[in-house]
Amino acid sequence: MASLSRRPLRVGPAVTASLPGDAVVDLSPDDALAVEPFGEGRWSLRDATGLDHTALLGEVLATKSGRLVEVVVAGWRFELAVDDAARADLVERAQRTNRAQRRGGPLEVRAIIPGRIMAISVAVGDAVAAGQQLLVVEAMKMQNELRAPRAGTVERIAPAIGDTIDLGDLLIVIG
Amino acid sequence: MTAGPRSAAGPASLRKDGTANVAPFGRVLVANRGEIALRIIRAARDLGIETVAVYSDVDANSVHVRAADLAVRLGPAPAGESYLRADAVLDAAIRTSAQAIHPGYGFLAERASFARAVEDAGLVFVGPSSAAIGSLGDKLAARRLAHEAGVPAVPGTLEPASVDRPDQVDAVIATAVEIGFPLLVKAAAGGGGRGMRRVERAEDLPAALAAGAAESASAFGDGSVYLEREIRPARHIEVQLLGDTAGTVVALGERDCSLQRRHQKLVEESPAPGLTPEERRELHEMAVRLARTAGLTNAATAEFLFDAQRRFWFLEVNTRLQVEHGVTELVTDIDLVREQFWIAAGRPLGADVIAAAEAAGSPRRHAIEVRIAAEDPARGFAPVPGRIGRWTMPSGPGVRVDTAVEPGNRVPPDYDPLIAKLMVADTTREGAIARLRRALDECEVTGIQTTLPFHRFVADHVGFAAGELSTDWVVEHWDPVATDLRSDALAVASRVAAAAVWAGAGHSGAAEAEQRDPARPSAWRQAGREAARDRWPR
Repeated sequence: MASLSRRPLRVGPAVTASLPGDAVVDLSPDDALAVEPFGEGRWSLRDATGLDHTALLGEVLATKSGRLVEVVVAGWRFELAVDDAARADLVERAQRTNRAQRRGGPLEVRAIIPGRIMAISVAVGDAVAAGQQLLVVEAMKMQNELRAPRAGTVERIAPAIGDTIDLGDLLIVIG
Repeated sequence: MTAGPRSAAGPASLRKDGTANVAPFGRVLVANRGEIALRIIRAARDLGIETVAVYSDVDANSVHVRAADLAVRLGPAPAGESYLRADAVLDAAIRTSAQAIHPGYGFLAERASFARAVEDAGLVFVGPSSAAIGSLGDKLAARRLAHEAGVPAVPGTLEPASVDRPDQVDAVIATAVEIGFPLLVKAAAGGGGRGMRRVERAEDLPAALAAGAAESASAFGDGSVYLEREIRPARHIEVQLLGDTAGTVVALGERDCSLQRRHQKLVEESPAPGLTPEERRELHEMAVRLARTAGLTNAATAEFLFDAQRRFWFLEVNTRLQVEHGVTELVTDIDLVREQFWIAAGRPLGADVIAAAEAAGSPRRHAIEVRIAAEDPARGFAPVPGRIGRWTMPSGPGVRVDTAVEPGNRVPPDYDPLIAKLMVADTTREGAIARLRRALDECEVTGIQTTLPFHRFVADHVGFAAGELSTDWVVEHWDPVATDLRSDALAVASRVAAAAVWAGAGHSGAAEAEQRDPARPSAWRQAGREAARDRWPR
């Protein structure tokens, strides 16, 4: 899977280990400035009030979408799902879109890979058929064609040719 | 059976100076597992006694087996097929030529029939006599003994309540009204709250009696129940007793064990904070009187409730070494297990024990124990078995840890989830609490959730520091959600998890391949499978 280094991450207790009310947070590398490794399997964190906390890092497992990380703080043990925030957003939006689609609402087509827009094959107002090419994204020296997931009318085109897009960015809305 | 590598000195050897160093026994069998088995083996070895461990299949490689000179397999993991098999334990003792059996606590420790079988086989049971265990194990008989000794028992009945005779219902209700509501229906053979029912209104009494009797009959094979007033608020205070076969009985101070959850103790300390010297003396004196009346020998504990009017009410006697015996050892400097061996061998209580008992009225040290268990304090202390990863216990001045757990150990679902007893001592209670906070900070455990967050909460609590203790303390104060304890820790943990991932933790590259053999399944997944395979019994 893609490297998670320096990308914003979404962190929260794994579904099987969470309690009602547990917070899921999006963190960017800036949020980790006060976190430092502190010997084998130990990390220290200085909080906003200047207090130092020690955390024990247990096992780290690679999952399909990210990592499952065991951390113990003040005796509390957490199994945390750590995923790329943009990717997690994408998954959430896809789930929302699927629900919206079932209800017949507009469909947001989002970037499933980061890259650069090489071509846009449709214009706002065009009627498109399912499977019709919408745009071409270059990623890792490969041309990737993005096709319409269903038939409809193009309501909006977000990027322009040459734009760099990131994972989860809105590309096209089909009504 | 495996033979140990050591050549033990044997029962009687000569010291370098030529004087006889006579041990109370040549060889003893320790009929237990975990930290208490290790603790007993240590005391035996300190006395020059050879030790025989017993184990179930899941414990074959455990610390207590390694610490003993010999070890005998009892059977599969379930206690009913291993540690609770009185016949197998006795047979192991006979086959290894052990002269005595120490039962520890739990398992066979308070089974009068087991103690009798040991005695009948010509071996020594390290504990009170089977007769004393039998009479005190029946809580109704113990209440009658207290009555005889002039020790006030919790107000209630002294005879079993009639459960299934409709013509007696009115009489039972009249008795209940006399005792006062709310009251408790309790099992004569009970323990751990089983067979117990709380009754607030007279009309609920017949149903509670029937339910308590049925539960008691299925749990203990004895459906006798009785009525007892509910004393609340109350503190749980117990007295450590030692008695020799010549009839000398002493009290080695008391312990406050008020911090409980569903009758399971979580924190214990000695002395009980806030008692006046007169109250302390009165308490010790009552316990000794009771023990003398019962003909109690060896080690036992008399439990009392201490009510808001500062009165003591006798609850029951435990005829065994208690889990929390260590706090008494830290205060008195008496090794209770060593004394148990000497008493079992027929030696009168030594001058050091008598002196410690005399000093117990005005103790000069304070000790606190917290029970570290594989339980989740955010989920009602539910047992959470699993495999331990990192395992670092504290040390340093005034700190004692009794444990038989090592890194990588699996906490099996078959037994009590207690994994370590952390004890601290200092000259004052304040100092002991400070040491407790320091020692808790030194604890490092991964792989399983433990009760450590609860203990940190207690050690930091203003009310606890002020000695405001009650058996309702945990229910009244412990709410990890409302106090943000867990969510604050989660906020830190989330940042650390992200930082670790940014730093490349778990990256499926060379670093991970180095650390883990890909052919081996992950420890988590394995632990998950193990947990699914054998759920906790309750």
